[in-house]
Amino acid sequence: MGKYIVRRLLGAIPVLIGLSIILFAFVHLLPGDPATAILGQHATPERVAAMRAYLGLDLPLWQQYLGYVGGLLRGDFGSSVINNQPLLRELLTRFPATLELTVAAMIYAVGVGIPLGRFASRHAQGWSDGAVTVVSLLGISIPVFVLGLTLQYIFAVELGVLPAGGRIDPRANLHIQSNFVLIDSLLMGRPDLFIDGIRHLILPAIALGSIPLAIITRITRASVLDVSNEDHVRTARAKGLKEKRVNSRHIMRNAWLPVVTVIGIQVGGLLGGAVITETVFAWNGVGRFVVEAINNRDYLVVQNTILIFALVFLAVNLIVDILYAFINPRIRYA
Amino acid sequence: MVRTRIGALVAAAAILVAACGGAASPTPAPATSAAPSTAPTTSAAPSTAPTTSAAGTPKAGGTLVVATPGDINRTDPALVDDATSTYVAQQVEETLLTLKPGTGDVVIPELATEWSVSPDGLNYTFKIRQGVKFHDGTDLNAAAVKVNFDRWIKIPKAYVDLGYTYYIDFVITAQVQGVTAPDASTVVVTLKAPNSSFPVQMTLTPFAISSPKALTDGNASAPDFKDNKYATGGPPAMVGTGPFMFKEWVPGDHVTLVKNPSYWNAAAGGPYLDQITFKPIADATATLNALQSGGVDLAQTISPVDVATVQGDSKLASIDRGSACNLGVLGMNQTHKPFDNLKIRQAMAYAVNRKAIIDAFFGGAGILASSWAPPGTLFVKELALPEYNPDKAKQLIADSGVTDLSFDFWYPSNVSRPYMPDPKGEFEAVLRDLEAVGFKPNPKNAPWSPDYLAAEESGKYPAWLIGWNCDYLGIDNFLSTAFFGYRGDPYGPGPEFAYKNDAMNQAMVDALKATDEAGQKAGWAKAQDLILADMPTVPIGSSKTPAAAAAYVKGLVPSPTLLEFFQSVWLDK
Repeated sequence: MGKYIVRRLLGAIPVLIGLSIILFAFVHLLPGDPATAILGQHATPERVAAMRAYLGLDLPLWQQYLGYVGGLLRGDFGSSVINNQPLLRELLTRFPATLELTVAAMIYAVGVGIPLGRFASRHAQGWSDGAVTVVSLLGISIPVFVLGLTLQYIFAVELGVLPAGGRIDPRANLHIQSNFVLIDSLLMGRPDLFIDGIRHLILPAIALGSIPLAIITRITRASVLDVSNEDHVRTARAKGLKEKRVNSRHIMRNAWLPVVTVIGIQVGGLLGGAVITETVFAWNGVGRFVVEAINNRDYLVVQNTILIFALVFLAVNLIVDILYAFINPRIRYA
Repeated sequence: MVRTRIGALVAAAAILVAACGGAASPTPAPATSAAPSTAPTTSAAPSTAPTTSAAGTPKAGGTLVVATPGDINRTDPALVDDATSTYVAQQVEETLLTLKPGTGDVVIPELATEWSVSPDGLNYTFKIRQGVKFHDGTDLNAAAVKVNFDRWIKIPKAYVDLGYTYYIDFVITAQVQGVTAPDASTVVVTLKAPNSSFPVQMTLTPFAISSPKALTDGNASAPDFKDNKYATGGPPAMVGTGPFMFKEWVPGDHVTLVKNPSYWNAAAGGPYLDQITFKPIADATATLNALQSGGVDLAQTISPVDVATVQGDSKLASIDRGSACNLGVLGMNQTHKPFDNLKIRQAMAYAVNRKAIIDAFFGGAGILASSWAPPGTLFVKELALPEYNPDKAKQLIADSGVTDLSFDFWYPSNVSRPYMPDPKGEFEAVLRDLEAVGFKPNPKNAPWSPDYLAAEESGKYPAWLIGWNCDYLGIDNFLSTAFFGYRGDPYGPGPEFAYKNDAMNQAMVDALKATDEAGQKAGWAKAQDLILADMPTVPIGSSKTPAAAAAYVKGLVPSPTLLEFFQSVWLDK
């Protein structure tokens, strides 16, 4: 197992090098000069030159790249041109918001998706199966921002039962310590704010979780059906095992594998969805941070935040692969 | 929308230097008095009587939640130029002079009780209000004001390089020679060249006066910006004299201000609110949803397309800011044929149905242009701009004798600006109008930034759509810095429009040098008349920035430049 992890980590190195080159090239392939883009229409040549020097754009390309990678290796992810603060610190303060949202979205997607998929598989080809398929297709095809705004309109504007955005009632003056609203509210000894935090989580979690929910539902359904038709399941039933036991020991145990893979990939994918969901719901996470950086033409921030997203994605995939070993003893990593 | 173009002042500076450098005859001091134009030499505190929202007895208390389209950038008013950062800072830190609430052109005293200008237009003397304390308990006096000016004058180079000093560059660095404080209540600012717009510039939030103690404690002039606490959230940060005090900034999430219980100008009424929380909501529809669901009480801006929804909702009130601080024009460059011909330029103006464009593309927030600056601008003159008249356009073309009526006509893609909400739609409408009278425009487009901007700025386009988001509602900010001021080397017209009229430029120079209101007014009027006669561009219109609030939000005085003070705001619930 240890060897496998080391090999996977080594395997990630070329991926990251490739990615760093692509991201580096991306900024340089964009039409125009980032310095001009940051400073605006009527910037004087001296001002543009100063900004180019600040951004390191006045050096030869290879020097720029080596400097960039050297910085990354030292753990220096650069700083934002807007407030000159180290990027890593900015990301860390916003990460708890994204984590809270992602976990909530996954709880929703897994908690609803798996039972829904199992339900559909039990009634395969029936009308309820068809209904589930339609709903999950809708989940995949509705753009997240449309779904988010629609949810806001229905539940916040029309029904008035849930807040339209934000992480907590701004009038409540939550004292921020850990940046996890749910933890901070408890630290303050305010269960009412904890509940308010949960209420703020519901709509963005549904919006963000809609695509994973749809995929998890469909994979669960397909996987359960697959396994159900296998010989060992028939044998188990023939032995006279109770249906419940057949389900848990013989079907689900095997059906989990593809589902877990998909869940793992979806967790990584949620970062992408978070960019939109966080913007729609005024959610102060890393997703919206990227959008702000793009709006501010803060190229280094965009470049390195995407690199960090990629790192997270790789890490999540690795963790999922390791989890495999636990749920499927047939897999031996060596 | 305060801000957009760096370098606006480059132009203003150039025109001033031109003013000095030329064989200028010294401006004779007005015989009567050197009282500044808009200067009521009074010590009366500004009144903030609300002019909108229903009357009623203001109630104290409550939290106002304000949705802003973005987060603030920094917590030091001197180092910001975006509309959201200044919107927050203007509640906390005050300027020597300000604008009468609801206007863009009436300068009134704030931390100065009066001001005057020397006959040569170079020395501005401000009398500093006594008995005012900063939020940290220290006193406002002439020395404190001088500390602020000195800090702006000696702003660290790193901040300039980072692009944080837009306003300091063009108002202080380019113009101010030095500052003295001869006694505890007097500050004298010496300019490098006369500039009658200086008082209006002093109303800009970046020139708010901060507590010297807080500037020192917050390391506000740290050579490395990373060490500057004053601008990055503090403590201390944003320590001024205003009706609200800065409490905290959680980047990306919110800014919280609390009531200043010992505000010096409480006699004017307010502050009533206990707290103001600013929350960035980037998406326009999400902003509307937040308003309608009661999550926020006031939106700094809403999308023009949502105005109708707001008006149809009895729980909300639509806020009309009266005028705008931007102007869209149909640009023409006189180095390109056929635009070297006056009759052709006039024909362009008669050919375009400007009113139809405003109605079709400005979403109910448009104002038809009546000069080269929006209504409500200080010293703007209502001109008899050509009305839509295709026959007259054809006649002018015939009279011009020009036979080759083809030219490249450009519009930008991937952009929407306040003065140009739908560039492509507007372009197509103008194109049809021009073709209808016989012009042969060749449609072209380029991505807004940097291609389009770089090309139009350097005079590569014969005809194109462009405009200006102002820095303040002063006529100079439109005429001299944005469009027609002489700059370059030697001082001459900018390459953008290549419009040269020495008499017009001299009229602007005279207006900037004049120390009396009559002289300023006359100079700007002459400049506008000459521009009308030359028709260098066709002014189309401006777009107001709409806002909305819950119906229970009372006492807000809308401002065309978003200089809105929450001192008078209260919650009727």
